[in-house]
Amino acid sequence: MTDWSHLVDLEKCTVSPRVFVDEEVYRDEQERIFGRCWLYLAHESQLPNPGDFVTHYMGEESVLVCRTASGKIRVFLNSCRHRGARMCRLDAGNAKAFTCPYHGWTYDNQGRLIGVPQFKEAYYEELNREDWGLIEVPRVESFRGLIFACFDENAQSLDAYLGDMKWYLDLIFNKTEGGMVVLPGLHRWNLGGNWKLAAEQFNGDNYHTGAAHESMLKIGLGPANGKFLGDRPWVRDFEAKLENGHGWINFKIDMAGGVPAPLAHHMEQIQAAARQRLTPAQSELVGCVHVGNVFPNFSILTFLGFLTIRVWHPRGPYNMEAYSWAMIEQEAPPEVVEIARKMQILTFSPSGIFEQDDGEMWGNSVKALRGIHRRNFPLNYQMGAGHGRTDPDKPGLIHPPSTEIGIFGVYEQWQALMGGA
Amino acid sequence: MMDAADRTRLRHEFEELLYYEAWLLDNDKLEEWLELFTDTIRYWAPVRGNLEPGREDLSQPHLLAHFDDDKTSLTLRVKRLRTGAAHAEEPRSRIRHFVSNVQILETDGPDRVKVSSNFQVFRSRWEGTEHLFVGCREDWWRRIDNTWRNEERFILLDHNVLENITVFF
Repeated sequence: MTDWSHLVDLEKCTVSPRVFVDEEVYRDEQERIFGRCWLYLAHESQLPNPGDFVTHYMGEESVLVCRTASGKIRVFLNSCRHRGARMCRLDAGNAKAFTCPYHGWTYDNQGRLIGVPQFKEAYYEELNREDWGLIEVPRVESFRGLIFACFDENAQSLDAYLGDMKWYLDLIFNKTEGGMVVLPGLHRWNLGGNWKLAAEQFNGDNYHTGAAHESMLKIGLGPANGKFLGDRPWVRDFEAKLENGHGWINFKIDMAGGVPAPLAHHMEQIQAAARQRLTPAQSELVGCVHVGNVFPNFSILTFLGFLTIRVWHPRGPYNMEAYSWAMIEQEAPPEVVEIARKMQILTFSPSGIFEQDDGEMWGNSVKALRGIHRRNFPLNYQMGAGHGRTDPDKPGLIHPPSTEIGIFGVYEQWQALMGGA
Repeated sequence: MMDAADRTRLRHEFEELLYYEAWLLDNDKLEEWLELFTDTIRYWAPVRGNLEPGREDLSQPHLLAHFDDDKTSLTLRVKRLRTGAAHAEEPRSRIRHFVSNVQILETDGPDRVKVSSNFQVFRSRWEGTEHLFVGCREDWWRRIDNTWRNEERFILLDHNVLENITVFF
Protein backbone atom coordinates (compact mmCIF):
# COMPACT_ATOMS: atom_id res chain seq x y z
CA MET A 1 0.00 0.00 0.00
CA THR A 2 1.27 3.44 -0.90
CA ASP A 3 2.23 5.54 2.09
CA TRP A 4 0.70 8.99 1.62
CA SER A 5 1.69 10.36 5.02
CA HIS A 6 4.34 12.66 3.50
CA LEU A 7 1.53 14.74 1.97
CA VAL A 8 0.77 16.23 5.39
CA ASP A 9 3.61 18.04 7.17
CA LEU A 10 2.90 17.97 10.91
CA GLU A 11 5.80 20.27 11.75
CA LYS A 12 4.97 23.01 9.28
CA CYS A 13 1.18 22.55 9.35
CA THR A 14 0.96 22.28 5.59
CA VAL A 15 -0.96 19.97 3.26
CA SER A 16 -0.01 18.98 -0.26
CA PRO A 17 -2.59 19.80 -2.95
CA ARG A 18 -2.30 16.15 -4.00
CA VAL A 19 -4.47 15.34 -0.99
CA PHE A 20 -7.30 17.03 -2.92
CA VAL A 21 -6.60 16.33 -6.58
CA ASP A 22 -4.69 13.08 -6.94
CA GLU A 23 -6.69 10.17 -8.41
CA GLU A 24 -4.58 7.55 -6.64
CA VAL A 25 -4.94 9.26 -3.30
CA TYR A 26 -8.68 9.41 -3.86
CA ARG A 27 -8.86 5.71 -4.65
CA ASP A 28 -6.94 4.80 -1.51
CA GLU A 29 -9.18 7.03 0.60
CA GLN A 30 -12.13 4.86 -0.35
CA GLU A 31 -10.49 1.91 1.34
CA ARG A 32 -8.58 3.51 4.18
CA ILE A 33 -11.01 6.25 5.22
CA PHE A 34 -14.46 5.29 3.97
CA GLY A 35 -13.70 1.62 4.56
CA ARG A 36 -12.58 2.13 8.17
CA CYS A 37 -14.41 5.13 9.67
CA TRP A 38 -17.91 5.36 11.09
CA LEU A 39 -20.16 6.91 8.44
CA TYR A 40 -23.49 8.60 9.07
CA LEU A 41 -26.53 6.93 7.52
CA ALA A 42 -29.87 8.09 8.85
CA HIS A 43 -31.78 9.32 11.86
CA GLU A 44 -33.98 6.90 13.75
CA SER A 45 -37.01 9.18 13.26
CA GLN A 46 -36.83 8.30 9.55
CA LEU A 47 -37.35 4.59 10.28
CA PRO A 48 -39.97 4.42 13.04
CA ASN A 49 -41.67 1.14 12.03
CA PRO A 50 -40.60 -2.42 11.28
CA GLY A 51 -40.08 -2.76 7.53
CA ASP A 52 -39.14 0.90 7.08
CA PHE A 53 -36.09 1.41 4.93
CA VAL A 54 -34.01 4.21 3.45
CA THR A 55 -31.28 4.07 0.84
CA HIS A 56 -28.10 6.05 1.21
CA TYR A 57 -24.38 5.89 0.42
CA MET A 58 -21.29 4.96 2.38
CA GLY A 59 -18.57 6.58 0.32
CA GLU A 60 -19.39 5.36 -3.18
CA GLU A 61 -21.30 2.28 -2.01
CA SER A 62 -25.08 2.33 -2.24
CA VAL A 63 -26.58 0.88 0.94
CA LEU A 64 -29.98 -0.19 2.18
CA VAL A 65 -30.80 0.69 5.79
CA CYS A 66 -33.60 -1.51 7.17
CA ARG A 67 -35.63 -1.59 10.37
CA THR A 68 -36.32 -5.31 10.86
CA ALA A 69 -39.30 -6.92 12.60
CA SER A 70 -37.35 -7.06 15.88
CA GLY A 71 -36.71 -3.32 15.68
CA LYS A 72 -33.01 -3.71 14.93
CA ILE A 73 -31.37 -1.58 12.23
CA ARG A 74 -29.41 -3.57 9.67
CA VAL A 75 -27.45 -2.22 6.75
CA PHE A 76 -26.73 -4.04 3.47
CA LEU A 77 -25.01 -3.20 0.24
CA ASN A 78 -27.78 -2.32 -2.18
CA SER A 79 -26.55 -4.78 -4.78
CA CYS A 80 -27.92 -8.18 -5.79
CA ARG A 81 -25.54 -11.09 -5.23
CA HIS A 82 -26.33 -12.54 -8.66
CA ARG A 83 -25.25 -9.84 -11.15
CA GLY A 84 -24.78 -6.98 -8.77
CA ALA A 85 -27.68 -4.85 -9.95
CA ARG A 86 -28.90 -2.05 -7.72
CA MET A 87 -31.75 -3.67 -5.81
CA CYS A 88 -33.75 -0.83 -4.46
CA ARG A 89 -34.15 2.34 -6.50
CA LEU A 90 -36.32 4.19 -3.98
CA ASP A 91 -35.21 6.78 -1.41
CA ALA A 92 -37.36 5.33 1.33
CA GLY A 93 -40.38 3.14 1.96
CA ASN A 94 -41.66 0.13 3.85
CA ALA A 95 -41.06 -3.38 2.56
CA LYS A 96 -40.75 -6.90 3.90
CA ALA A 97 -38.68 -8.00 0.92
CA PHE A 98 -36.63 -6.60 -1.95
CA THR A 99 -36.70 -8.11 -5.41
CA CYS A 100 -33.88 -7.47 -7.83
CA PRO A 101 -35.34 -5.98 -11.02
CA TYR A 102 -32.85 -7.87 -13.24
CA HIS A 103 -33.51 -11.60 -12.68
CA GLY A 104 -35.83 -11.50 -9.72
CA TRP A 105 -33.73 -12.73 -6.80
CA THR A 106 -35.60 -11.74 -3.66
CA TYR A 107 -34.22 -10.95 -0.20
CA ASP A 108 -36.00 -10.26 3.07
CA ASN A 109 -35.10 -7.19 5.12
CA GLN A 110 -32.64 -9.27 7.14
CA GLY A 111 -30.68 -9.86 3.94
CA ARG A 112 -31.64 -13.51 3.49
CA LEU A 113 -32.10 -14.78 -0.06
CA ILE A 114 -35.68 -16.04 0.05
CA GLY A 115 -36.64 -16.27 -3.59
CA VAL A 116 -34.82 -17.42 -6.72
CA PRO A 117 -36.87 -17.72 -9.94
CA GLN A 118 -36.62 -21.19 -11.54
CA PHE A 119 -34.86 -22.52 -8.46
CA LYS A 120 -36.00 -26.05 -9.31
CA GLU A 121 -35.90 -25.99 -13.12
CA ALA A 122 -32.70 -24.00 -13.71
CA TYR A 123 -30.69 -24.45 -10.53
CA TYR A 124 -31.76 -28.07 -9.83
CA GLU A 125 -32.24 -26.86 -6.23
CA GLU A 126 -28.44 -27.00 -5.94
CA LEU A 127 -27.94 -23.32 -5.14
CA ASN A 128 -27.24 -22.89 -1.45
CA ARG A 129 -29.37 -19.82 -0.80
CA GLU A 130 -27.90 -19.33 2.66
CA ASP A 131 -24.53 -18.49 1.07
CA TRP A 132 -25.98 -15.78 -1.15
CA GLY A 133 -27.64 -13.33 1.20
CA LEU A 134 -27.09 -9.60 0.84
CA ILE A 135 -23.65 -8.34 1.86
CA GLU A 136 -24.08 -6.87 5.31
CA VAL A 137 -22.23 -3.87 6.71
CA PRO A 138 -20.89 -5.44 9.89
CA ARG A 139 -21.12 -2.58 12.36
CA VAL A 140 -24.20 -0.42 12.97
CA GLU A 141 -24.49 1.75 16.09
CA SER A 142 -26.43 4.86 17.12
CA PHE A 143 -25.85 7.93 19.19
CA ARG A 144 -28.89 10.07 20.17
CA GLY A 145 -30.84 8.68 17.23
CA LEU A 146 -28.02 9.25 14.73
CA ILE A 147 -27.34 5.95 13.00
CA PHE A 148 -23.79 5.29 11.82
CA ALA A 149 -22.28 2.22 10.18
CA CYS A 150 -18.74 1.00 9.61
CA PHE A 151 -17.28 -1.49 7.12
CA ASP A 152 -14.48 -2.42 9.52
CA GLU A 153 -15.69 -5.10 11.86
CA ASN A 154 -12.73 -4.48 14.17
CA ALA A 155 -13.36 -0.74 14.47
CA GLN A 156 -13.66 0.85 17.90
CA SER A 157 -17.23 1.45 19.08
CA LEU A 158 -19.12 4.47 17.75
CA ASP A 159 -19.15 5.78 21.31
CA ALA A 160 -15.35 5.69 21.49
CA TYR A 161 -15.00 7.00 17.93
CA LEU A 162 -17.15 10.06 18.62
CA GLY A 163 -15.32 10.59 21.91
CA ASP A 164 -15.44 14.21 23.05
CA MET A 165 -17.62 15.11 20.10
CA LYS A 166 -20.53 13.60 22.05
CA TRP A 167 -20.33 16.44 24.59
CA TYR A 168 -20.91 18.91 21.76
CA LEU A 169 -23.47 16.84 19.86
CA ASP A 170 -25.51 16.76 23.07
CA LEU A 171 -25.90 20.55 22.81
CA ILE A 172 -28.19 19.80 19.88
CA PHE A 173 -29.38 16.23 20.14
CA ASN A 174 -29.89 15.94 23.89
CA LYS A 175 -31.16 19.36 24.82
CA THR A 176 -34.85 18.45 24.95
CA GLU A 177 -36.82 15.41 26.02
CA GLY A 178 -38.14 14.69 22.50
CA GLY A 179 -34.81 15.20 20.75
CA MET A 180 -34.53 16.19 17.12
CA VAL A 181 -36.73 14.97 14.26
CA VAL A 182 -36.12 14.99 10.52
CA LEU A 183 -38.48 17.00 8.31
CA PRO A 184 -39.69 15.27 5.15
CA GLY A 185 -37.62 15.64 2.01
CA LEU A 186 -33.95 15.72 1.19
CA HIS A 187 -31.73 18.26 -0.52
CA ARG A 188 -29.47 16.36 -2.80
CA TRP A 189 -27.07 18.09 -5.17
CA ASN A 190 -23.77 17.80 -6.98
CA LEU A 191 -20.93 20.16 -6.27
CA GLY A 192 -17.51 20.68 -7.67
CA GLY A 193 -14.78 20.25 -5.06
CA ASN A 194 -13.08 17.56 -3.05
CA TRP A 195 -15.19 16.22 -0.16
CA LYS A 196 -12.55 17.24 2.39
CA LEU A 197 -12.91 20.92 1.54
CA ALA A 198 -16.53 20.83 2.71
CA ALA A 199 -15.71 18.68 5.73
CA GLU A 200 -12.87 20.94 6.89
CA GLN A 201 -14.98 24.06 6.52
CA PHE A 202 -17.66 22.66 8.84
CA ASN A 203 -14.99 21.30 11.16
CA GLY A 204 -13.53 24.69 11.93
CA ASP A 205 -13.44 27.38 9.28
CA ASN A 206 -14.94 30.58 10.58
CA TYR A 207 -12.25 32.52 8.73
CA HIS A 208 -14.05 32.26 5.38
CA THR A 209 -17.22 34.02 6.49
CA GLY A 210 -16.06 37.59 5.97
CA ALA A 211 -14.92 37.11 2.37
CA ALA A 212 -17.00 34.20 1.09
CA HIS A 213 -20.22 35.52 2.64
CA GLU A 214 -19.48 39.20 2.14
CA SER A 215 -22.68 39.53 0.12
CA MET A 216 -24.76 38.65 3.18
CA LEU A 217 -23.17 41.37 5.22
CA LYS A 218 -23.74 43.82 2.37
CA ILE A 219 -27.49 43.14 2.29
CA GLY A 220 -27.84 43.27 6.05
CA LEU A 221 -28.81 39.65 6.54
CA GLY A 222 -25.74 38.98 8.61
CA PRO A 223 -24.78 39.68 12.20
CA ALA A 224 -25.46 43.15 13.60
CA ASN A 225 -21.78 43.65 14.44
CA GLY A 226 -20.73 42.76 10.89
CA LYS A 227 -18.77 39.70 12.01
CA PHE A 228 -19.72 36.07 12.34
CA LEU A 229 -18.30 36.23 15.84
CA GLY A 230 -19.54 37.11 19.30
CA ASP A 231 -17.89 39.08 22.07
CA ARG A 232 -16.99 36.29 24.50
CA PRO A 233 -13.84 34.67 23.09
CA TRP A 234 -12.64 31.39 24.67
CA VAL A 235 -15.83 31.13 26.77
CA ARG A 236 -18.69 31.08 24.29
CA ASP A 237 -17.07 32.02 20.98
CA PHE A 238 -14.54 29.37 20.21
CA GLU A 239 -13.52 26.43 18.10
CA ALA A 240 -12.69 23.03 19.53
CA LYS A 241 -10.26 20.59 17.99
CA LEU A 242 -11.48 17.14 19.00
CA GLU A 243 -9.98 13.67 18.88
CA ASN A 244 -10.26 11.47 15.77
CA GLY A 245 -10.38 14.48 13.44
CA HIS A 246 -13.71 15.88 14.62
CA GLY A 247 -14.23 19.61 15.17
CA TRP A 248 -16.72 22.16 16.45
CA ILE A 249 -17.34 25.89 15.98
CA ASN A 250 -19.41 27.75 18.54
CA PHE A 251 -20.39 31.41 18.61
CA LYS A 252 -23.28 33.68 19.34
CA ILE A 253 -24.46 36.33 16.94
CA ASP A 254 -27.21 38.91 17.04
CA MET A 255 -28.82 39.18 13.65
CA ALA A 256 -29.08 42.65 12.17
CA GLY A 257 -32.81 42.25 11.58
CA GLY A 258 -33.55 40.37 14.81
CA VAL A 259 -35.43 37.06 14.71
CA PRO A 260 -39.18 36.43 14.36
CA ALA A 261 -40.94 36.54 17.74
CA PRO A 262 -42.24 32.93 17.71
CA LEU A 263 -38.72 31.66 17.03
CA ALA A 264 -37.23 33.82 19.79
CA HIS A 265 -39.85 32.47 22.20
CA HIS A 266 -39.21 28.88 21.13
CA MET A 267 -35.45 29.28 21.60
CA GLU A 268 -35.98 30.58 25.13
CA GLN A 269 -38.06 27.51 25.93
CA ILE A 270 -35.42 25.23 24.47
CA GLN A 271 -32.73 26.89 26.56
CA ALA A 272 -34.85 26.41 29.67
CA ALA A 273 -35.39 22.74 28.79
CA ALA A 274 -31.66 22.31 28.18
CA ARG A 275 -30.81 23.58 31.64
CA GLN A 276 -32.75 20.66 33.06
CA ARG A 277 -30.88 18.10 31.02
CA LEU A 278 -27.35 19.33 30.35
CA THR A 279 -24.47 20.49 32.54
CA PRO A 280 -24.26 24.23 33.34
CA ALA A 281 -21.28 24.59 30.98
CA GLN A 282 -23.25 22.96 28.16
CA SER A 283 -26.45 24.91 28.88
CA GLU A 284 -24.52 28.17 28.43
CA LEU A 285 -23.83 27.20 24.84
CA VAL A 286 -27.33 26.11 23.81
CA GLY A 287 -28.83 28.56 21.34
CA CYS A 288 -25.50 29.56 19.81
CA VAL A 289 -24.54 28.94 16.21
CA HIS A 290 -23.04 25.45 16.14
CA VAL A 291 -21.08 24.11 13.20
CA GLY A 292 -19.26 20.82 13.29
CA ASN A 293 -17.95 17.83 11.44
CA VAL A 294 -17.66 14.21 12.48
CA PHE A 295 -14.71 12.85 10.54
CA PRO A 296 -14.79 12.08 7.73
CA ASN A 297 -17.86 13.62 6.10
CA PHE A 298 -20.84 14.17 8.43
CA SER A 299 -21.50 17.86 9.03
CA ILE A 300 -24.00 19.80 11.06
CA LEU A 301 -24.96 23.44 11.19
CA THR A 302 -27.57 25.08 13.36
CA PHE A 303 -28.43 28.70 12.86
CA LEU A 304 -31.60 30.78 13.34
CA GLY A 305 -33.64 27.85 14.61
CA PHE A 306 -32.88 25.31 11.89
CA LEU A 307 -30.50 22.40 11.89
CA THR A 308 -29.06 21.01 8.69
CA ILE A 309 -27.27 17.69 8.91
CA ARG A 310 -25.45 16.61 5.82
CA VAL A 311 -23.08 14.11 4.30
CA TRP A 312 -20.51 15.06 1.65
CA HIS A 313 -20.25 11.95 -0.48
CA PRO A 314 -17.01 11.59 -2.43
CA ARG A 315 -17.51 11.46 -6.20
CA GLY A 316 -13.96 11.43 -7.49
CA PRO A 317 -11.32 13.90 -6.36
CA TYR A 318 -13.03 16.83 -8.06
CA ASN A 319 -16.67 16.32 -7.17
CA MET A 320 -18.97 15.52 -4.31
CA GLU A 321 -22.65 14.88 -3.82
CA ALA A 322 -24.32 16.51 -0.85
CA TYR A 323 -27.23 14.98 1.06
CA SER A 324 -28.76 17.48 3.47
CA TRP A 325 -31.73 17.05 5.78
CA ALA A 326 -33.57 19.58 7.91
CA MET A 327 -34.13 18.82 11.58
CA ILE A 328 -35.86 20.55 14.45
CA GLU A 329 -36.76 19.87 18.07
CA GLN A 330 -39.64 17.45 18.32
CA GLU A 331 -41.32 20.01 20.61
CA ALA A 332 -41.30 22.85 18.05
CA PRO A 333 -44.79 24.12 17.17
CA PRO A 334 -45.73 24.08 13.44
CA GLU A 335 -45.34 27.84 13.15
CA VAL A 336 -41.73 27.63 14.34
CA VAL A 337 -41.01 24.63 12.11
CA GLU A 338 -42.11 26.72 9.12
CA ILE A 339 -39.92 29.68 10.08
CA ALA A 340 -36.91 27.40 10.53
CA ARG A 341 -37.59 25.38 7.38
CA LYS A 342 -37.89 28.50 5.22
CA MET A 343 -34.73 29.94 6.76
CA GLN A 344 -32.80 26.76 5.93
CA ILE A 345 -34.10 26.81 2.35
CA LEU A 346 -33.15 30.47 1.92
CA THR A 347 -29.69 30.15 3.43
CA PHE A 348 -28.39 26.55 3.29
CA SER A 349 -30.01 24.64 0.42
CA PRO A 350 -28.95 24.25 -3.23
CA SER A 351 -30.45 27.72 -3.78
CA GLY A 352 -29.20 28.98 -0.40
CA ILE A 353 -27.65 32.39 -0.31
CA PHE A 354 -24.85 31.17 1.95
CA GLU A 355 -24.60 27.69 0.45
CA GLN A 356 -23.97 28.89 -3.11
CA ASP A 357 -20.89 30.82 -2.06
CA ASP A 358 -19.36 27.90 -0.17
CA GLY A 359 -19.89 25.47 -3.03
CA GLU A 360 -18.34 27.92 -5.45
CA MET A 361 -15.14 28.05 -3.37
CA TRP A 362 -14.72 24.28 -3.13
CA GLY A 363 -15.03 23.94 -6.89
CA ASN A 364 -12.64 26.83 -7.43
CA SER A 365 -9.99 25.23 -5.26
CA VAL A 366 -9.79 21.92 -7.07
CA LYS A 367 -9.86 23.62 -10.47
CA ALA A 368 -6.90 25.75 -9.49
CA LEU A 369 -4.99 22.97 -7.72
CA ARG A 370 -5.12 20.25 -10.32
CA GLY A 371 -2.32 21.64 -12.45
CA ILE A 372 0.82 19.54 -12.41
CA HIS A 373 2.96 22.48 -11.25
CA ARG A 374 0.60 23.96 -8.64
CA ARG A 375 0.31 20.67 -6.83
CA ASN A 376 3.99 20.84 -5.83
CA PHE A 377 3.40 23.83 -3.55
CA PRO A 378 1.78 23.13 -0.19
CA LEU A 379 -1.34 24.72 1.31
CA ASN A 380 -1.07 26.70 4.52
CA TYR A 381 -2.90 25.50 7.67
CA GLN A 382 -0.75 27.39 10.19
CA MET A 383 -3.27 29.86 11.61
CA GLY A 384 -3.19 29.76 15.40
CA ALA A 385 -0.90 26.73 15.55
CA GLY A 386 0.50 26.32 19.06
CA HIS A 387 -1.94 28.80 20.62
CA GLY A 388 -4.76 26.42 21.57
CA ARG A 389 -5.60 25.79 25.23
CA THR A 390 -7.46 23.19 27.18
CA ASP A 391 -10.41 24.34 29.27
CA PRO A 392 -11.78 22.62 32.39
CA ASP A 393 -15.34 23.49 31.29
CA LYS A 394 -15.31 21.86 27.90
CA PRO A 395 -13.47 19.18 25.99
CA GLY A 396 -10.99 19.64 23.18
CA LEU A 397 -8.23 22.03 22.32
CA ILE A 398 -9.87 25.46 22.39
CA HIS A 399 -9.12 28.66 20.50
CA PRO A 400 -11.39 31.57 19.54
CA PRO A 401 -12.23 31.99 15.85
CA SER A 402 -10.43 32.37 13.62
CA THR A 403 -8.00 29.51 13.86
CA GLU A 404 -6.98 26.48 11.81
CA ILE A 405 -6.04 24.32 14.78
CA GLY A 406 -9.16 22.20 14.40
CA ILE A 407 -9.05 22.06 10.62
CA PHE A 408 -5.49 20.82 10.65
CA GLY A 409 -6.75 18.06 12.95
CA VAL A 410 -8.71 16.73 9.96
CA TYR A 411 -5.42 16.25 8.12
CA GLU A 412 -3.65 14.79 11.14
CA GLN A 413 -6.38 12.16 11.23
CA TRP A 414 -6.22 11.80 7.46
CA GLN A 415 -2.49 11.24 7.68
CA ALA A 416 -2.86 8.64 10.43
CA LEU A 417 -5.23 6.66 8.20
CA MET A 418 -3.45 7.18 4.88
CA GLY A 419 -0.02 5.89 5.87
CA GLY A 420 1.14 2.67 4.30
CA ALA A 421 0.50 0.42 7.26
CA MET B 1 -67.96 30.20 -18.44
CA MET B 2 -65.43 31.10 -21.08
CA ASP B 3 -65.95 30.15 -24.69
CA ALA B 4 -63.14 28.80 -26.84
CA ALA B 5 -62.35 32.18 -28.35
CA ASP B 6 -62.06 33.82 -24.94
CA ARG B 7 -59.83 31.04 -23.75
CA THR B 8 -57.56 31.38 -26.79
CA ARG B 9 -57.36 35.13 -26.29
CA LEU B 10 -56.48 34.65 -22.66
CA ARG B 11 -53.86 32.05 -23.48
CA HIS B 12 -52.25 34.41 -25.99
CA GLU B 13 -52.25 37.13 -23.39
CA PHE B 14 -50.40 34.91 -20.92
CA GLU B 15 -48.00 33.57 -23.54
CA GLU B 16 -46.94 37.15 -24.15
CA LEU B 17 -46.69 37.86 -20.45
CA LEU B 18 -44.61 34.73 -19.78
CA TYR B 19 -42.30 35.48 -22.73
CA TYR B 20 -41.86 38.98 -21.37
CA GLU B 21 -41.04 37.53 -17.96
CA ALA B 22 -38.43 35.21 -19.51
CA TRP B 23 -36.94 38.17 -21.37
CA LEU B 24 -36.63 40.09 -18.09
CA LEU B 25 -34.83 37.17 -16.46
CA ASP B 26 -32.51 36.53 -19.39
CA ASN B 27 -31.57 40.20 -19.56
CA ASP B 28 -30.87 40.65 -15.87
CA LYS B 29 -33.83 42.94 -15.31
CA LEU B 30 -34.52 41.31 -11.97
CA GLU B 31 -35.92 44.37 -10.22
CA GLU B 32 -38.56 44.65 -12.96
CA TRP B 33 -39.15 40.91 -12.69
CA LEU B 34 -39.93 41.31 -8.97
CA GLU B 35 -42.67 43.78 -9.87
CA LEU B 36 -44.61 40.98 -11.55
CA PHE B 37 -45.31 39.49 -8.11
CA THR B 38 -47.82 40.66 -5.54
CA ASP B 39 -46.59 41.46 -2.04
CA THR B 40 -48.22 38.22 -0.86
CA ILE B 41 -46.47 35.95 -3.39
CA ARG B 42 -45.57 32.41 -2.39
CA TYR B 43 -42.74 31.27 -4.68
CA TRP B 44 -42.42 27.60 -3.97
CA ALA B 45 -40.44 24.66 -5.44
CA PRO B 46 -40.74 21.46 -3.38
CA VAL B 47 -38.05 18.77 -3.51
CA ARG B 48 -38.69 15.66 -5.61
CA GLY B 49 -37.90 12.15 -4.46
CA ASN B 50 -37.75 8.60 -5.79
CA LEU B 51 -40.75 6.98 -4.18
CA GLU B 52 -43.34 4.36 -5.01
CA PRO B 53 -46.09 5.55 -7.37
CA GLY B 54 -48.58 7.64 -5.44
CA ARG B 55 -46.30 8.14 -2.44
CA GLU B 56 -44.87 11.47 -3.52
CA ASP B 57 -46.96 13.89 -1.47
CA LEU B 58 -45.99 17.45 -2.31
CA SER B 59 -48.66 18.85 -0.02
CA GLN B 60 -47.37 17.21 3.16
CA PRO B 61 -46.58 19.67 5.90
CA HIS B 62 -43.01 20.93 6.29
CA LEU B 63 -41.71 19.26 3.12
CA LEU B 64 -38.29 20.60 2.14
CA ALA B 65 -38.11 22.78 -0.94
CA HIS B 66 -35.61 24.44 -3.23
CA PHE B 67 -37.49 27.70 -2.83
CA ASP B 68 -40.19 28.68 -0.39
CA ASP B 69 -39.96 32.41 -0.70
CA ASP B 70 -42.11 35.44 -0.08
CA LYS B 71 -41.63 38.89 -1.59
CA THR B 72 -39.12 39.84 1.10
CA SER B 73 -36.83 36.86 0.60
CA LEU B 74 -37.08 37.00 -3.21
CA THR B 75 -36.08 40.65 -3.02
CA LEU B 76 -33.13 39.75 -0.78
CA ARG B 77 -31.95 37.20 -3.32
CA VAL B 78 -32.00 39.85 -6.03
CA LYS B 79 -30.27 42.45 -3.85
CA ARG B 80 -27.55 39.94 -3.03
CA LEU B 81 -26.84 39.40 -6.72
CA ARG B 82 -26.27 43.14 -6.96
CA THR B 83 -23.57 43.27 -4.27
CA GLY B 84 -20.77 42.17 -6.55
CA ALA B 85 -19.90 39.55 -3.93
CA ALA B 86 -22.41 36.80 -4.74
CA HIS B 87 -19.51 34.60 -5.79
CA ALA B 88 -21.50 31.79 -7.43
CA GLU B 89 -22.77 34.40 -9.90
CA GLU B 90 -19.52 36.33 -10.37
CA PRO B 91 -19.06 36.82 -13.21
CA ARG B 92 -22.73 36.41 -14.05
CA SER B 93 -23.82 33.21 -15.75
CA ARG B 94 -25.17 33.28 -19.26
CA ILE B 95 -28.77 32.11 -18.98
CA ARG B 96 -31.69 31.54 -21.34
CA HIS B 97 -35.27 30.71 -20.41
CA PHE B 98 -37.50 28.76 -22.81
CA VAL B 99 -41.20 28.76 -22.00
CA SER B 100 -43.76 26.50 -23.66
CA ASN B 101 -46.98 24.48 -23.20
CA VAL B 102 -48.88 27.45 -21.86
CA GLN B 103 -52.36 26.47 -20.70
CA ILE B 104 -55.18 28.21 -18.90
CA LEU B 105 -56.02 25.70 -16.19
CA GLU B 106 -58.67 27.54 -14.26
CA THR B 107 -60.33 30.90 -13.86
CA ASP B 108 -61.81 32.45 -10.78
CA GLY B 109 -63.91 35.32 -12.06
CA PRO B 110 -62.52 37.70 -14.70
CA ASP B 111 -59.52 38.78 -12.65
CA ARG B 112 -57.93 35.54 -11.42
CA VAL B 113 -56.40 32.93 -13.70
CA LYS B 114 -54.39 29.79 -13.09
CA VAL B 115 -51.81 29.28 -15.82
CA SER B 116 -49.41 26.41 -16.30
CA SER B 117 -46.27 26.49 -18.41
CA ASN B 118 -43.22 24.32 -18.98
CA PHE B 119 -39.73 25.74 -18.85
CA GLN B 120 -36.16 24.94 -19.69
CA VAL B 121 -33.45 27.16 -18.29
CA PHE B 122 -29.96 26.85 -19.73
CA ARG B 123 -27.09 28.16 -17.60
CA SER B 124 -23.52 28.51 -18.81
CA ARG B 125 -21.32 29.25 -15.87
CA TRP B 126 -17.88 30.79 -16.00
CA GLU B 127 -15.49 28.81 -18.23
CA GLY B 128 -18.26 26.58 -19.50
CA THR B 129 -19.94 24.48 -16.82
CA GLU B 130 -23.37 24.03 -18.38
CA HIS B 131 -26.60 23.03 -16.72
CA LEU B 132 -30.17 22.62 -17.79
CA PHE B 133 -33.05 23.07 -15.38
CA VAL B 134 -36.37 21.65 -16.57
CA GLY B 135 -39.79 21.77 -15.01
CA CYS B 136 -43.22 23.30 -15.04
CA ARG B 137 -44.87 26.14 -13.21
CA GLU B 138 -48.42 26.65 -12.06
CA ASP B 139 -49.17 30.28 -11.39
CA TRP B 140 -52.17 32.11 -10.01
CA TRP B 141 -52.28 35.52 -11.66
CA ARG B 142 -54.52 38.33 -10.43
CA ARG B 143 -55.49 41.42 -12.38
CA ILE B 144 -54.85 44.51 -10.25
CA ASP B 145 -55.37 47.97 -11.76
CA ASN B 146 -55.44 46.38 -15.21
CA THR B 147 -52.10 44.64 -14.73
CA TRP B 148 -51.56 40.95 -14.13
CA ARG B 149 -49.61 40.15 -10.95
CA ASN B 150 -48.48 36.72 -9.85
CA GLU B 151 -49.69 35.81 -6.38
CA GLU B 152 -48.67 32.16 -6.26
CA ARG B 153 -45.97 30.35 -8.21
CA PHE B 154 -45.61 26.62 -7.80
CA ILE B 155 -42.48 25.28 -9.51
CA LEU B 156 -42.15 21.58 -10.14
CA LEU B 157 -38.53 20.84 -11.02
CA ASP B 158 -38.04 17.54 -12.86
CA HIS B 159 -34.79 16.81 -11.03
CA ASN B 160 -33.85 14.71 -8.06
CA VAL B 161 -30.14 15.44 -7.77
CA LEU B 162 -29.59 19.10 -8.57
CA GLU B 163 -26.76 21.54 -9.04
CA ASN B 164 -26.67 24.78 -7.12
CA ILE B 165 -29.57 27.00 -8.13
CA THR B 166 -28.50 30.55 -8.88
CA VAL B 167 -31.28 31.23 -11.39
CA PHE B 168 -34.97 32.01 -11.04
CA PHE B 169 -37.78 30.07 -12.69
